[in-house]
Amino acid sequence: MSPRTILIIARKELRDALRNRWFLFYTVAFSVLALAMAYLSLAGSGMQGLAGFGRTTAGLVNLVILLVPLMALSIAAPSLAGEQEQGTLAYLLAQPITRFEALLGKYLGLSASLTAALAIGFGICGLGIAANGDSAGVGVYITLVLMTFALGFAMLSVGIFISTLTRKAAPAIGMAIVVWLCLTLLSDLGLMGSALAFKLRIQDLFGLALVNPLQVFKMSVLHSMNASLDVLGPAGIYATQAYGRWLSVLFIGSILAWIIAPLVLASLTFSRKSIA
Amino acid sequence: MKYRQDIWVWGWLLAVVGVVDLCASPVDAGSFNLQRVVDAAKSGDTICVPAGTYPGPLLINQSVQLIAEPGTIIQGDGKGDVVQIHAPDVTLRGFTIRGTGKSLDRENAGITVLAPRVTIEDSVLEDVLFGIYLKKAHDSVIRNNRIGGKDLPVARRGDGIRLWYSPNSVVENNTVDNSRDVVIWFSNNTMIRNNTVTHGRYGLHFMYCDDTVLIGNHLEDNSVGAFLMYSRRLVLKDNRFIRNHGPSGYGVGLKEVDGVEAQNNLFAGNRIGLYFDNSPASIDMVQHFTRNVVAYNDIGLAFMPSIERNIFTENNLIENVEQVAVLGSGQLKNNKFTVDGRGNFWSDYNGFDLDSDGIGDISYKAQSLFENLMDREPKLRLFLFSPVQQAVELAAKAVPTFRPPVKITDQAPLMHPASVTLSSGNEPPAWPTTTASLVLLLSASGLLMCGITGTLARPSAAAGPIPMKPRPRNDQPEQATKPILSAGCITKRFGRLTAVKDFDLDLRPGEAVGLWGPNGAGKTTAMRCMLGLIRCKGTVTINGFDVRKRPKHAKRCVGYVPQELAFYDDWRAKELLGFFAKIKRVDRNRVTAVLAEVGLTEHAAKRVGELSGGMKQRLALAAALLADPPVLMLDELTANLDAAARDSFLGLLCKQRDAGKAILFTSHRLREVETLADRVLVMECGEVVTTCKPRKLAEALGLKSSLRLWIDKDQLDDAVEQLRTDGFETDRNGQTVNVKVRPDEKGKPLASLSSVKIDVRDFEIDSNDNGSPSRRTEQGGTQ
Repeated sequence: MSPRTILIIARKELRDALRNRWFLFYTVAFSVLALAMAYLSLAGSGMQGLAGFGRTTAGLVNLVILLVPLMALSIAAPSLAGEQEQGTLAYLLAQPITRFEALLGKYLGLSASLTAALAIGFGICGLGIAANGDSAGVGVYITLVLMTFALGFAMLSVGIFISTLTRKAAPAIGMAIVVWLCLTLLSDLGLMGSALAFKLRIQDLFGLALVNPLQVFKMSVLHSMNASLDVLGPAGIYATQAYGRWLSVLFIGSILAWIIAPLVLASLTFSRKSIA
Repeated sequence: MKYRQDIWVWGWLLAVVGVVDLCASPVDAGSFNLQRVVDAAKSGDTICVPAGTYPGPLLINQSVQLIAEPGTIIQGDGKGDVVQIHAPDVTLRGFTIRGTGKSLDRENAGITVLAPRVTIEDSVLEDVLFGIYLKKAHDSVIRNNRIGGKDLPVARRGDGIRLWYSPNSVVENNTVDNSRDVVIWFSNNTMIRNNTVTHGRYGLHFMYCDDTVLIGNHLEDNSVGAFLMYSRRLVLKDNRFIRNHGPSGYGVGLKEVDGVEAQNNLFAGNRIGLYFDNSPASIDMVQHFTRNVVAYNDIGLAFMPSIERNIFTENNLIENVEQVAVLGSGQLKNNKFTVDGRGNFWSDYNGFDLDSDGIGDISYKAQSLFENLMDREPKLRLFLFSPVQQAVELAAKAVPTFRPPVKITDQAPLMHPASVTLSSGNEPPAWPTTTASLVLLLSASGLLMCGITGTLARPSAAAGPIPMKPRPRNDQPEQATKPILSAGCITKRFGRLTAVKDFDLDLRPGEAVGLWGPNGAGKTTAMRCMLGLIRCKGTVTINGFDVRKRPKHAKRCVGYVPQELAFYDDWRAKELLGFFAKIKRVDRNRVTAVLAEVGLTEHAAKRVGELSGGMKQRLALAAALLADPPVLMLDELTANLDAAARDSFLGLLCKQRDAGKAILFTSHRLREVETLADRVLVMECGEVVTTCKPRKLAEALGLKSSLRLWIDKDQLDDAVEQLRTDGFETDRNGQTVNVKVRPDEKGKPLASLSSVKIDVRDFEIDSNDNGSPSRRTEQGGTQ
């Protein structure tokens, strides 16, 4: 494996992403929505002595949960499949590179482009908050940004895995949307229903929630805001008391698993795939 | 010995009696016995205690004033209390008191007061279990003290300040940190003013304290801010209850209290800002909450369902996760949120104000299905801030039957927050956020620049060319030379279809081998198997490297030109070659050289999408030649070219072959094969059916070309007869004659007709019929 080759592919992917109209659209959409969220959250708190970032962060958490997985999945899922459909992937792989280098290079390039889009959004939003005279808890802000990046990387990883499963871009995007719907809505609805119907124990509910990277992201940001998860009721209190300081490690470990596992699966699938 | 002790005691007594006020003259701490001095003092005396460390415990049985110089420490022995005050009207000022015992049962305290009208001020209590403990010490004052608890789990700590049956007392300007609670029990008419209590369990815990006033206190980061119970006529004003976030986590909890008047308080960042449990308790009592700020709490106002007679006006309820909660089943009633046409400010109010009077024109209603679910099933709070929350709310709005009952209604919500003067807090500066934001924007710019200018991967040392020997002069590759590409028993199946079966090939340097066969014969699949693009059975080595085990090394020896030229269309030709040059680790100067070699120098700046098919073909060849590889693989090598471009392209390839490159190509143009190939592998249904020299291909396969002749009308029949006589397969088609001939005998029909004086006015060789395998199939050939 050559890091240099991976970087060359990554740069090519970054460059392609920057020329892609979706990149521009997502960047603008995320920036505008984040700024609007911050503005609306701060509009009612223009008084001395109130640090208004808590609710802003909560609003941004919601925005991130909805938008960032969609961004990541929709740019990653067609990446390999689309190139395979166009024939460029076969040509690329006929060059002196390994499939793993191509896969990792693409992943890193997409990660860089997503990071740039999110950094622009958060940067503008943060400046908006600061300009509004509010003292955002910078620690929370940085945690939010870093965890958003991590969530984005995890979703890119899932998207790349989806991309290795199909030969065309359209089915890949379809699968990505189904996965997005499952992660954002269906799994939570199912879990809510199960909690009520089967009287799930608190620890089971929390354990099942940990399987969803979006829930992990949400809980980790809320944890950084309050140093506990009390806001999430009994399950949050249980998590705080049962895991204490290890809660952060649990969250980071879970997100890392979501970054690494799909990437490993993608690599295995891609290495066995015939590129016709 | 006894004599000397007596002199000592009498000396001090004389000093106390004679001087009256010891503060008047400096005294040496080393010779100062504090307990004896106190014991010897008379009621009303003032004792100025010199700086120094005095051993505890100290018992004060006289009504004296003890005034410590800075640096005066009373050090307990780690057992029991440090100071006990048994006399009334004692003042203790300016001491540092340390080292109580750890017994919760015995309530070991820094200062225990057992008599009324005691003043304790300007003192520091450190490492104490209980801090200041007033037992039946009415009319006492605790002022300007700083109390720090022991480093113990909160349940094993004592109370920073405790008032027990000590009415009419004043507790003001004290700072309590890391204790358990500040407890005020059975102490009516107490003034609690400007105290700061942090990192404890209960910032304030009240019971049976009627007519108590809380003003300007800061209760922050405790488990509960203040829990007020079983008391009447309480006044809360200008207090800050912030980030009290324990399991209960109330900013202020009210349990069976009556007549609370709360004004200008801040309840922020608590789990529950204000919690109401059976308050007011008496049917004749009303409580008023005016101009308070309830912000950023998990729940702003939480009510047990039976709560009544609370009046809220001009409060600001800002961005609480849940503005109002009713804990349990039941409906709130008889609470007012509007008085004299003015309600409260709700940050989630979605109404409007057409008459611009500052009052919303429609009511504010706290109504949320998800909140109702949470209130009934608290474990569902786990799904807060999730999209499922919005989905549930949307369902409630769309389907009326899902709509929950309204929790509270504010008839006249304020459009803007009511102006509230809050005591100042320690607001962190905004610059860190600004800095972090700028760093983010700079990072994004850096990434964008990387993408645009390409500084992510620096060029490294170019890999050297792989040495090749030129093709020998006898125009035949050396059979003795070791093959540079070997394929052994390649087999590939797609489901039931066998695309390639037992394909073998040895390709030597300077040799060109053509794969010939109809569409679907398996030529392209075999080539892709050799490139490692398709997984297959069998072995492929290129320049000694196994394609599967060492793909990079193997592919570095190959330049590939695909059948379908799929490039990145928005790249410029030169950029594209630059990209592949980097991948192949080739010096960028090669880009210019290969562009010149394939005649694309003038088009280097054009986007790939703007190039013609022929130019793209040449661009593909340029990319293949970048690393000057010993093997070229070309799939349908002239598929996109016109006749002139085809000749030029074939010329280029012949040069490469003569320079020593091994060339493997697929084609179904006989002329290409004849021009370029040294041998031909004929494929059908995935198998190599024959191998031959290109010149023998047509003969071997019985390929024929179609010749169309234009002959004068009156000679047509003669011409047909003559040609058939000479053995040509001939048929008449209107005014022309079609003749089938071997590809290398196209002139013979013309000679035959000429011999019998029949003029051929014109002729045409069917351009789609160069002896293609597909044509042969139509004629019932070998497929």
